[in-house]
Amino acid sequence: MVQFTLPRNSKITKGKAWNPPAKGAEPGRWREYRIYRFDPETGENPRVDTYWVDMNDCGPMILDALLWIKNKIDPTLTFRRSCREGVCGSCSMNIDGTNTLACTMHAEEARGAAIAVYPLPHMPVIKDLVPDMTQFYAQHREIEPWLKTDSPTPQKEWRQSHEDREKLDGLYECILCACCSTACPSYWWNGDRYLGPAILLQANRWVEDSRDERTGERLDDLEDPFRLYRCHTILNCTKACPKGLNPAAAIANLKRKMVERT
Amino acid sequence: MATPLKRIRGLGAAHHGTETFWRQRLTAVANVPLLIFLIWFVVSHVGASYDKVRECLANPIVAVLMLALIWSAAIHMRIGLREIIEDYVHTKMCKTVSLMAVTFFAALVGLASTLAILKISFGS
Repeated sequence: MVQFTLPRNSKITKGKAWNPPAKGAEPGRWREYRIYRFDPETGENPRVDTYWVDMNDCGPMILDALLWIKNKIDPTLTFRRSCREGVCGSCSMNIDGTNTLACTMHAEEARGAAIAVYPLPHMPVIKDLVPDMTQFYAQHREIEPWLKTDSPTPQKEWRQSHEDREKLDGLYECILCACCSTACPSYWWNGDRYLGPAILLQANRWVEDSRDERTGERLDDLEDPFRLYRCHTILNCTKACPKGLNPAAAIANLKRKMVERT
Repeated sequence: MATPLKRIRGLGAAHHGTETFWRQRLTAVANVPLLIFLIWFVVSHVGASYDKVRECLANPIVAVLMLALIWSAAIHMRIGLREIIEDYVHTKMCKTVSLMAVTFFAALVGLASTLAILKISFGS
């Protein structure tokens, strides 16, 4: 059965309060962060540590706060980051209850006074805010995300009309941050068989590509009660996407193509 | 130990599912007018005598619409229940038994309701 409760060794315990501001501190200056911590080497259960970030000394984004904490309070805090401008998808995590990118989310967007920061939901955790993306990347590999052709390779490039190129808008921008897939309950329960919204959006990107000559083969590989049809149009994916893409529409397009060819 | 690619490929794509998807959508669309008809039929017969209701149900148009509703709803219910079990039940034995049970249940509901309508229609 689906597990609705966490296994005993994953239950979250109360953590440490690192740097509570002194009494009488300037109001609004210190922002509270509650951050998920897990270190597999200690054998201890995960915990939630509390940090206070000096907003007078820190940039406005959540990633700025995480870097501030790592540099000034706790160097053991572990998370992925790279481009700090929403292009690489490394810093995807669950912030204030929503999957998003730490680098593009403003601290002021958080609803609560204390900002909760957790790793992406329902993924194995390697350490702190770093999830294990192995399965996700294997699924991406499975849809063969590259141009597949049988015609002789042209002297210059594979040509594409402006109209055909426009069909890839809203698809090519996906940065594979996995915010959508890990927001999807179907992916939580059946992530080993259901490809999930991010990968299906990528699959649709190649199905829609006018230069690709293996559309039928791609659809064959997707036609499965789990790989594609486990999508129940919940739409969490579209709500979560930090790039403003619409994976649900991409999946609907794949389903439409499946019906078209019957 | 299986590689991640081996794990996610599993037994490969089943190459079916589109028919079920289409059937689910088709029955969903059919259910809308048929259920409106059912509600209208029930509401318009509130307070009517047993014989009067039987007489109306025996009307061929009413009986055909009722049969269509029963089968459309039973097929839709069977697909929906199957989806729920596939989503949440992962124990092999429990899953197989549950899938069989929902199929039998949907067929039973469909057949029993069909028999009732036919009996009324043919006046037995």
